Amino acid sequence: MTTDTQVAPSRHDVTVDRVRELLAAKDPAFWPALRCLTLRAEDFSTVLSLATMRKKAFRANVPGGTDKTIRLAMVGGSSLYPLHELVEQFVGAQAFKGWWQTELFKGDYDNYISEILDPTSDLYAFSPDVIILIPNSQRCVYQGSLTDSPNHQRAAAATAAEDILTLARAARDRSGAEIILANFLPAPDFDPGTFRVRSLGSDWSFRKLVNLELGLNAPSFVHILDAEFLAARRGTASAYDHRGWFETKQLYASDFAVDIAREVGSIVASLHKSSKKVLALDLDNTLWGGVIGDDGMTGIEIGGTHARGEAFRQFQLAISQLAKRGVVLAVCSKNDYKNAAEPFEKHPEMVLRLKDIASFQANWEPKSENLRRIAQELNLGLDSIVFVDDNPAEIEIVNQFVPEIETILLGPDPSTYASQLLNCRYFEPRSITADDLQRGEQYQAQAARTAAMSTSGTDMASYLTSLDMHSVISEFTSVDVPRISQLINKSNQFNVTTRRRTEAEVEALMIDPTHYAFSVRLADKFGDNGLISVVIVRIEGATAIVDTWLMSCRVLKRQMEEEVANEIGRLAILRGCTEVIGHYLPTEKNGMVRDLFPRMGYTLVEDTPERTTWRLETATFTPHSTHIQIDRRAYQSNDSN
Amino acid sequence: MTQTEILAKMQTVFDDVFLDDVKVTPDLSANDVEEWDSLLQISLVLGVEKAFGVRFRVGEVEATKNLGEFANLIQRRMAETVKA
Repeated sequence: MTTDTQVAPSRHDVTVDRVRELLAAKDPAFWPALRCLTLRAEDFSTVLSLATMRKKAFRANVPGGTDKTIRLAMVGGSSLYPLHELVEQFVGAQAFKGWWQTELFKGDYDNYISEILDPTSDLYAFSPDVIILIPNSQRCVYQGSLTDSPNHQRAAAATAAEDILTLARAARDRSGAEIILANFLPAPDFDPGTFRVRSLGSDWSFRKLVNLELGLNAPSFVHILDAEFLAARRGTASAYDHRGWFETKQLYASDFAVDIAREVGSIVASLHKSSKKVLALDLDNTLWGGVIGDDGMTGIEIGGTHARGEAFRQFQLAISQLAKRGVVLAVCSKNDYKNAAEPFEKHPEMVLRLKDIASFQANWEPKSENLRRIAQELNLGLDSIVFVDDNPAEIEIVNQFVPEIETILLGPDPSTYASQLLNCRYFEPRSITADDLQRGEQYQAQAARTAAMSTSGTDMASYLTSLDMHSVISEFTSVDVPRISQLINKSNQFNVTTRRRTEAEVEALMIDPTHYAFSVRLADKFGDNGLISVVIVRIEGATAIVDTWLMSCRVLKRQMEEEVANEIGRLAILRGCTEVIGHYLPTEKNGMVRDLFPRMGYTLVEDTPERTTWRLETATFTPHSTHIQIDRRAYQSNDSN
Repeated sequence: MTQTEILAKMQTVFDDVFLDDVKVTPDLSANDVEEWDSLLQISLVLGVEKAFGVRFRVGEVEATKNLGEFANLIQRRMAETVKA
């Protein structure tokens, strides 16, 4: 019997018939195959027949199905059937293993305003994790005349957007759910001709303006489902189906509804999975045309006046655009290092330079091994890497031996490389924090630190002293909530309990008297590591219970965990606790913190397969001494500064 | 395509849409199948349009009383597509 991940090697050639066979055989490999076909599907009927197969599989209890269940509410100004079928299918297919089941609430047709405004409505009784709000485009019309003053038209657009955002905020306040808000479809008709763009009062201009207002003013819990962009990408006229509207109140043409559902799937996924961090690149015929070892510096195609060279240069520009946003670059190439590095050092047309590459693996080992090395060197999980190559055989090997790594197989035409990368969707930031923008620099500094450690030959203590580390510990603040939630939802390795929380839940902790919670920043002479650790502690009488303790792996072995333990102890004493209890809940990924509590001086209380429990008496607690200067501690005002 | 041939091809659409096994016959209508509600009808019509490469006009599928009449409608629309 095949297992879920073993199907990965053949993911490029799964067929509908194969999926039917797997369903009939009740083979758990049905689920990855179904995910794969769903993500690839383009038209309504295909997705719908896959949805039918999914339902049959649940009915037949095909093993390996439910990975998690998401409570999804859809409300809007149009019929949500059969859109919901597509949405459930695309949300489910986002699972890494098995299937994400959905519990669905469908609002009544065009009843969304009262469903949201009435606090006792069925919408809230359902207690959704995610609310998808699809307002009716036909309502987004300027009521005055084309010749009204632009200021008046602009104000009307701002009001229209604000009305919808008010609904979104109310839905959030009453449910704590993440809100996915569809914006308005562009007007598809030629009328009123050239006046379309000469007045803000035309449907075309007015809706664009409302959509801009929505996007620019949406709070972080509102995720814009950019129907405008999706329609423009497909062709506005084919996004509509007037018959569907008259007969059954369909807002979207059936195949366009697939685009919409796919986008909902990827937004829901972004709430649960992190975006990728590392782009690992092949060199020959990927970053430049030709083979550097054979063609040499003068023979490879990059930049210059040749069409192919221009295409490779454009690809490098696209890569450097991602790098500026915080994506870490690595090289994974079968080459002699000296040959491979030369264009980065000397070729005048190269966009990427050695300083842009955080980990450079050029040798004759299998690429799967080199990718593991890259993960180690950067101190990141394999699943944070995307590997790009023009050679199907290399892609196949990586899929087979390191299925955690996503791959992009570049086609035969280099003119498509840049757009393949910019449409791969692995590197989209969920909320751009200042930390994200610095991340690339942070990892390069990490590589420099690793180098400092391996070449210095001195002892650990003097290395740590030389780092000149400064840390700020702070209670949760609203400005940090997006980054804190990001860490809570994506840290797997240094994470004792792996408890996930939404932004709303994190915010709630800020005013909850039964908890104390803090985040930690760390800077050193190589740069600012940003917010790297999060702790949540629950107080029960005289006991402080460590609910969450996680840390970014790039600051491992820097004594940060000792300082965090100090802060947990200090705050427990301040709150009058006599003991601190810590739990370690083992997962496949968090083995590195199995011994965290004993290393910090906690003693074993209980050991079961589900968890180990550890205890610290605050009376005997002595803070660990470290080489980190603490500039501020949690729950202390800044007045003294 | 004869009505029988059309009904046979419709069977594949039905298999993709219904969870239960539904046997396509000329006399069958929505009243005979519990799963076949107004919502499922939407999926069914879209599936049929795709399978036969036709496009119905507003309201006309609703006006057919059973699958036999539906098949005749498909036949007429297919003839039109060939002419066009």
